[in-house]
Amino acid sequence: MIRNRWLSFLSPFLLLTLWELAVQVGWLNRIFYPPPSEVFITFGAMIADGQLPRDVGLSVMRVFVGMVIGGVPAIVIGLLMGISPVVRALVQPLAAAIYPIPKIALLPLVIVVLGLGEASKIATIALSVFFMIVLNVAASVLQVDARYFEVAQSFGARRIDLFRTVALPASMPGIITSVKLGMGFALTLIVGVEFVGSNDGVGHLIWRAYELYAIDSMIAGLVAVALVGWAITVLLDEIERLLVPWQFVRAANDDARQFIQTWWGALRPHSYTAAIIPVALGAIIAGAEGHFHPLLLTLALLGAIAIQAGANLTNDYFDYTRGIDTPQSFIGRNVLLRGELQPRQVLIAGLVAFAVGAIIGLYLVSVGGAFILWLGVIGVLVGFFYTAGPFALAYTGLGETAVFLFMGPLTVIGSYYLQTQSITAPVIFASLPVGFLIAASLHANNLRDLESDRAKGKRTLATLLGRAGANIEYYALVGGAYLSLLLLALIGVAPWPTLIAAITLPTALGLMRRVARDYEPQALHPVLRQTTQLHMQFGFLMLAGWAGAWMLGMS
Amino acid sequence: MSRLPKITIDHARVVYPGARGAGPVEALGGVSCNVADGELVCIVGPSGCGKTTLLRVLADLEQLTDGRVVITDSDPARPVKAMVFQGAGIFPWMTVEQNVAYGLRLRGMPPAERIEIARRWIGEMGLDRFANAYPAQLSGGMQQRVGLARAFAYNPQVLLMDEPFGALDAQTRLILQQTLLRQWDREAKTVVFVTHSIEEALTLGDRVLVMSARPGRLIHEFRAPFARPRDAIALRSDPRFSAMFAEIWSVLRDEVERARAAELGATA
Ligand SMILES: Nc1ncnc2c1ncn2[C@@H]1O[C@H](COP(=O)(O)OP(=O)(O)OP(=O)(O)O)[C@@H](O)[C@H]1O
Ligand SMILES: [Mg+2]
Repeated sequence: MIRNRWLSFLSPFLLLTLWELAVQVGWLNRIFYPPPSEVFITFGAMIADGQLPRDVGLSVMRVFVGMVIGGVPAIVIGLLMGISPVVRALVQPLAAAIYPIPKIALLPLVIVVLGLGEASKIATIALSVFFMIVLNVAASVLQVDARYFEVAQSFGARRIDLFRTVALPASMPGIITSVKLGMGFALTLIVGVEFVGSNDGVGHLIWRAYELYAIDSMIAGLVAVALVGWAITVLLDEIERLLVPWQFVRAANDDARQFIQTWWGALRPHSYTAAIIPVALGAIIAGAEGHFHPLLLTLALLGAIAIQAGANLTNDYFDYTRGIDTPQSFIGRNVLLRGELQPRQVLIAGLVAFAVGAIIGLYLVSVGGAFILWLGVIGVLVGFFYTAGPFALAYTGLGETAVFLFMGPLTVIGSYYLQTQSITAPVIFASLPVGFLIAASLHANNLRDLESDRAKGKRTLATLLGRAGANIEYYALVGGAYLSLLLLALIGVAPWPTLIAAITLPTALGLMRRVARDYEPQALHPVLRQTTQLHMQFGFLMLAGWAGAWMLGMS
Repeated sequence: MSRLPKITIDHARVVYPGARGAGPVEALGGVSCNVADGELVCIVGPSGCGKTTLLRVLADLEQLTDGRVVITDSDPARPVKAMVFQGAGIFPWMTVEQNVAYGLRLRGMPPAERIEIARRWIGEMGLDRFANAYPAQLSGGMQQRVGLARAFAYNPQVLLMDEPFGALDAQTRLILQQTLLRQWDREAKTVVFVTHSIEEALTLGDRVLVMSARPGRLIHEFRAPFARPRDAIALRSDPRFSAMFAEIWSVLRDEVERARAAELGATA
């Protein structure tokens, strides 16, 4: 059951990956089957030049206005039909006769009457949803259990009370369902209407792309329609929760908020700064040298975040299934220990995140070539095997080194390479401070867990070096960040404004003092959190300094 | 208090137009009786004999074919009547509190006041923790208590109760009988209480009326000789209780058999 649900999650990604590969390898003709990455780029470009937002906005506006003009009277008349046999007798036969006519068939007639402007499009939408909603609403009022009306009457309800306190709330679920149906219908219809009778809107956009044989634009338009449909569905679901809360009380445990909280806890977004900082640094260094492609930076950031999320999730899975993480461990909000998610869910979500990273990565490979490919492959392998498999890096004492390399030099260099297609020595050096600090924050984790890791046989540099040696390692990593930054500024690799990151030095010194003094997990837990924050603050300040220098034309 | 009857039922007859193919159904065959102010009258009778129909007539939910029923309105400040339905009949789209305050809301009582009263009755029924829950979150017994609280909070002059404890387990039923007794001791209300259970009728009622098989008529009337305040458990060991039980049962048994025979005859 759960497996099936995850398969249904995974299959689109698998399909996209296969599609991408098939095109990249040359099995599919790029002209007819533009790869997902290309569609993604086209999509981005169409957003950037304002064409897609304008057309989608127009279509949504037409749907929305049509829904209001057609839907509101439909609900009112539908309710009246449900309550009053007279109104029912008047409207029902007419509505039932017109309802089955395909509304797109009315378009020519509507155009004859209202012309080619907005009015005819909106009127077509309004007409179609009107008949659909009016019949559904009337039916849902008629289905209300007659007993409820009697209960109300026995408490002295007048006609208006019957309407307000029984007919309306009891048929509200039906009304919402019919609005949902109407909305889906309207969305389908607007695309069709814009195909033929329009020179703007997303339907027109798709049709025009077809005429120009711009298949990537066509698919981008379809994706936009799908996204709009999805967003509207989510919105209507939320409205439903507000209007008919009693229908959701049974499922109170897995409502949307809980879902978001759970996955927020599983994905640990606050950890993404570790991925964002080195990627941004590489791009800013390139920018300061006159090479800057915002789209490539955005994609690299998304890809790095996806890989980071994948690493978080798979590591949680393997730490949990190996019994490394237990309720006694200090790991904050852990969705697996709290039983909020099944281990399998976490594992598959992690694989999905890697897959997303891979799709984005594949496009970046098409720009950056083999070097980026290797970087991405190593990144995913490091992220995955960090805790997985018999040679789990984290359990062999190689964790710090792997994280240093990957969250430091390799990522900075990769991001720089994407922008410039070259590697230079200064970039390698520039990546050191950030690498030191990310390694320090991982090491802080191992320092805190030293005793428990040792007891469980998890080998880290900290357990190998012992308490004294491990403390020295911490000073070296944190101190190394500041020293290397100073050196970079002195030899002129980093512009001097990056030294602003040194204002975090007091925090760093305080942390070192704590590490020297404390050894209990409770006392070291804040050190871990603050070291992670130090990496973030230092990183962003260094970025800001470098970006400032670039803007001021200093380098 | 005056001896004027609170409820007058005079040759009440209800004939339902029959289903397709079948003839009309005479549900009530001319029922006559009076209920005094502050009296708790229980009605027992075979299934399908017209008990619900009689209550519905009293609640103005059904038209009489013949005869007359009158409920004297002696207190303009209070609503005349309220009904507790067979199966709670509480609104799924309202919270417990909104359900209980419903009747008061229809009477135009300001929110603060009606919520206070509703809260009191919710507490009385032991449902404090569920005041903001929806009926779907409650057990059947709890829903039934919400229905009771709603009727009590409304504080009508006449309470019409149609097998209010019928669908409950024995323990819950006992507890709610005690609740009703205590409530009645505190403030004697006029109550017409329909039940399938002779024990329940004897426990609660001042009088027990036995109805005949359809078309329903009142064929017997017993006065429950137990002093108030009553205790639902202690009553069981009273020798008069079992004697009366046997007496009512002997009358009722004949009617139940007649009703069954009529049913079998109708299907044969
Ligand atoms: N709306 C109706 N139309 C036609 N016949 C009806 C209708 N309501 C009830 N009846 C018939 O009237 C008779 C009396 O029904 P009623 O519901 O009053 O019985 P009851 O004594 O309450 O039975 P029970 O103890 O099973 O609840 C039954 O035979 C029933 O079939
Ligand atoms: Mg009944």
